[in-house]
Amino acid sequence: MAATLIIIDQPPYGSWEGREALDMAFSLAAFDQPVSLLFCGAGVNWLRKAQNPGEVEQKSVEKNLAAATIFGVESLLADRSACDQYGLAPADLPEPVMVVDLGPELTSSFSHVAFAG
Amino acid sequence: MSGRLSKPAKTPAPAGVFTLVITGAPYSSQAPQTALHFARAALAANNRIDRVFLYGDGVHLASSLNTPPSDELNISAAWADLLADNDIPGVACIASALRRGLVDESEKQRYGLSASNLRAPFEIAGLGEWVASAASESRVLYFHKGS
Repeated sequence: MAATLIIIDQPPYGSWEGREALDMAFSLAAFDQPVSLLFCGAGVNWLRKAQNPGEVEQKSVEKNLAAATIFGVESLLADRSACDQYGLAPADLPEPVMVVDLGPELTSSFSHVAFAG
Repeated sequence: MSGRLSKPAKTPAPAGVFTLVITGAPYSSQAPQTALHFARAALAANNRIDRVFLYGDGVHLASSLNTPPSDELNISAAWADLLADNDIPGVACIASALRRGLVDESEKQRYGLSASNLRAPFEIAGLGEWVASAASESRVLYFHKGS
């Protein structure tokens, strides 16, 4: 079956593109299509714990992410170099997130790759 | 010998079938024009476009209210003409559309809004339409706003 990788390279809260990319992933999962999420670039900031966006009148994206595997998203992946760049150690990341190296070896294992915005 | 024209041979998937996803808004990005140029070239080369899906800011393309100056391209009208002339479904994601004030008649009634503004032949539907393309043999191309 065609597996899809949705790549979120935008930080949370600055635009709706990441949220709408997450909706795409949830929608594939809802239709029993295999899908994984990859965070790279500034997108790894989605993975920070204890986010508090109430002051900018947004909802935290942490709950959405925590629900991802429950809704059937197969894996949550974080790009190693982006984690290093933004000071996120593997121990800082939420439980189901795996650190990977983003490159052609990874993307070629998916039949469909889509970026957020 | 029959005088009828034979039906064109069905273009084999996946090489000849495309789904276009437009996420960049008209007049703030070139995405809808780039997608339109791609669509014209693909159709001219006998490829098939099974669906055009508007997502995120791309839903603004389906507004019937876009009124650029008369010496500028009306990209919404140009897209509507291409879809109608080639019988291609044009679908705006309902969640993206409602957030951004793009509604059809039934959503207008559902939410008690003062007007609807969806340009024919665009339709409003769920992400399931995109899922159907992603799960099919179509090649799905994304037209983003760019950075």
